[in-house]
Amino acid sequence: MIDLSYYIIFSLGLYLIGIYCLTTKRNMIRLILGIEILLNAANVSFIAFGAYALPGFVDPLSHSIAIISIGISGSVSAVALILVVYVYKHFGTLDVREIRRLRG
Amino acid sequence: MINSLFNLALDTLLLFTVTAPLVGALASRIHKRSLTGVYASIGLIAAGISLYIMYTNFSSPTPTTGSGLFSAIVRTDMLSIFMTGIFIGIGLAATVYSIKYMEKDSGKPLYFTLLLAMISGMIGTVFAGDLFTLYVFWELMSISSYVLVAFRKETWEPVEAGFKYLVMSAAGSATILLGISFLYGMAGTLNFQGLYTAFNQAPSTVWFYVAFLFILVGFGVKTAIVPLHTWLPDAHSAAPTPISAMLSGVVIETGVYALLRTFFTAFFSIQQQWFGILAVLSILTMTLGNVTALLQDDVKRLLAYSSIGHVGYMLAGLAIGTQLGLTGTLLHIFNHALMKSAAFLCAGAIIFRLETRSLKEFSGVGRKMPITTIFFAVSLFALIGMPPLNGFISELTLLTAATTANVAWLGLAIILNSILSAAFYLRVLRTLISPTLSDVAQKAKEAPVIMLIPIGVITSLIVLFGIYPEPIIKLAQQAVAGLLPAMTGT
Repeated sequence: MIDLSYYIIFSLGLYLIGIYCLTTKRNMIRLILGIEILLNAANVSFIAFGAYALPGFVDPLSHSIAIISIGISGSVSAVALILVVYVYKHFGTLDVREIRRLRG
Repeated sequence: MINSLFNLALDTLLLFTVTAPLVGALASRIHKRSLTGVYASIGLIAAGISLYIMYTNFSSPTPTTGSGLFSAIVRTDMLSIFMTGIFIGIGLAATVYSIKYMEKDSGKPLYFTLLLAMISGMIGTVFAGDLFTLYVFWELMSISSYVLVAFRKETWEPVEAGFKYLVMSAAGSATILLGISFLYGMAGTLNFQGLYTAFNQAPSTVWFYVAFLFILVGFGVKTAIVPLHTWLPDAHSAAPTPISAMLSGVVIETGVYALLRTFFTAFFSIQQQWFGILAVLSILTMTLGNVTALLQDDVKRLLAYSSIGHVGYMLAGLAIGTQLGLTGTLLHIFNHALMKSAAFLCAGAIIFRLETRSLKEFSGVGRKMPITTIFFAVSLFALIGMPPLNGFISELTLLTAATTANVAWLGLAIILNSILSAAFYLRVLRTLISPTLSDVAQKAKEAPVIMLIPIGVITSLIVLFGIYPEPIIKLAQQAVAGLLPAMTGT
C-alpha cells in the first residue's frame, strides 16, 4: 500500500498549482478553474485521510464531506460564471488587467 | 418535544428563507412590491423570539443533544446565543431599511431571500458543533454575500468588486477546507470538543502547524487581516448600503468568531506561539486600516477602512487570550456591529438623497438633514471611543486586559490608533456641518421615516449600552465561559 505522505504531498502540490494559477493567470475563467483546483486539493486530502484512518477500514465521514464540498464548489463556480458574464457585458473583455479600475 | 432540523432559531429563519421567493411571486402578482421585505422582517422577528425562548431555556454551557434531525452537528452555548442576537438585530435593521432603500431596484424577492440566506448562514456558523458544519454554513453566508455585493449589476463597479471578492474569498474558503482536512487526518474527528481533547498535548508533527497556518490564512481573508484585506474596501463600498452595513457590521465578525472558536479548541495547546503572531497582525491591521482611512474621499470606503482598523482591536483581545481580553473582544464585536451599521445606514440615507458618495459633495448637508446628521454624529463619536458611548466601554476593557496581561504595548497601540482614527471621523463630521452648502446638498431633504426608524433604534442602543453596559458585559462574560473548555473543565 502506498504511504499516506505521498497523497498529502500530492494534495499540497495541487494547492500550489491552484495558487500559481490564481496569481499569474489573467483570464477570469482560468481564475475560476484555479479556485476549483484549490477545492479539489482539499477533497483529495480528505479522501486520503479517510482511507488511512483505521487499517482495513475506510471512514465514510470523509467521503460525505468530499461530496458536500463538491456540491458547494459547484455553486461557487456558478455564481462566479454569472459574474464573468456581467463583466464581459460591461468591459467587453475577460482580462483582469483591463478591468482593474478599483484601487483596492 | 417537537422534532426540528437544527434548533429553534435557525429552523425558523431557514423556513422563512425558503418561503420568501413564494411570497415574492405572490407580491408581484398582487402588485404589492414591498411585501417580501415585510415578510423578511417578520421572519427575523420570529427568529428573534425563538432565540429568546432558547436563551431562557438554556441551562448549562455543555453541548445539548436535542431531538432534531441534525442536532448532533449543532452545539448551543452562550457564545452562539450572544452572536446570534447580534446577527438577528442588525439583520432586522438592515431589512427594514432595505424596504425603502431598494425601492427602485428590480428583483427584490431575490434580494430579501439572499439577505435571509446570508443571516441564516451566519447563525448556522455560530451554532455549528464541528468544523465541517461550520464550513458548510460559512459557504452559505459567503455565496449569498457574493451575489448581494454584485446585486446592482447594471453598473460596472459592483460587478468588478463582486468578482474580486469572490476570487479572494473562495480561495480563502478552499484554504480553510485544506486546513480542516489536516486536522481531520490527525484527530479523526472534527467535533470541537473532540478536537480539544485530541490536541490537548500539542502533537509534535509539522502538519499541526501547517493546519494552523492554513486555517489562520483562510479565516483571515474573510476577517480582513491586513495582508489579505484588499477585497474589503471595494466590496463594502460597491455593495448596496444595507449590505455594506451587514458586511462591515456582522460578516467580518463571523470571521473573528470562527478564529475564536478554532483557536480555543484545536489550537489551544500552542497559545504561546500564536500570541505573538496575532499581536503583530492586530497592530498591523489597526494601523493600516486607520492610516488609509485618512486618505479617502468616498465616505463608504472611509467607513470600510475604519472597519479594518476595528478588526485590529478585536484581534488584540483575541491575542491576549485571557478571560478579560476575550470579554473585550466579544464586547467590541457587539459594539462595533451597532456603531458601524448605524454609521453605514446614516451614510446610506445621505447617499439616497444626494446620489453621490463623495465626501466633498456632502458639505453642509447637516443643515438640510439634521436628524440623520445627529444620528451619524453619535455613531462616529462611538467609533472614536468617546466616554458616554458604547465604543469607549469595549476599548477600555481591551486596554485593561492588555495591561493586566503585561502586554501594555498592545494597549498603547489601541490608544494611539483611537487618537489617529478621531482625525478622519471628525473630518466627516466637519464636512457635514460646514456652513457652505454644495450644489447637491441645496436640494436635499430629510431622509424617509422608514429609514430613520432602524437608525434611531440602533443609535439609542449605542447611547443606552454606553451609559448602562452591565447586562451586555454579563452576557459577554457568560459567552467567554462557554468558549473556554479548558477554564470551565467541561
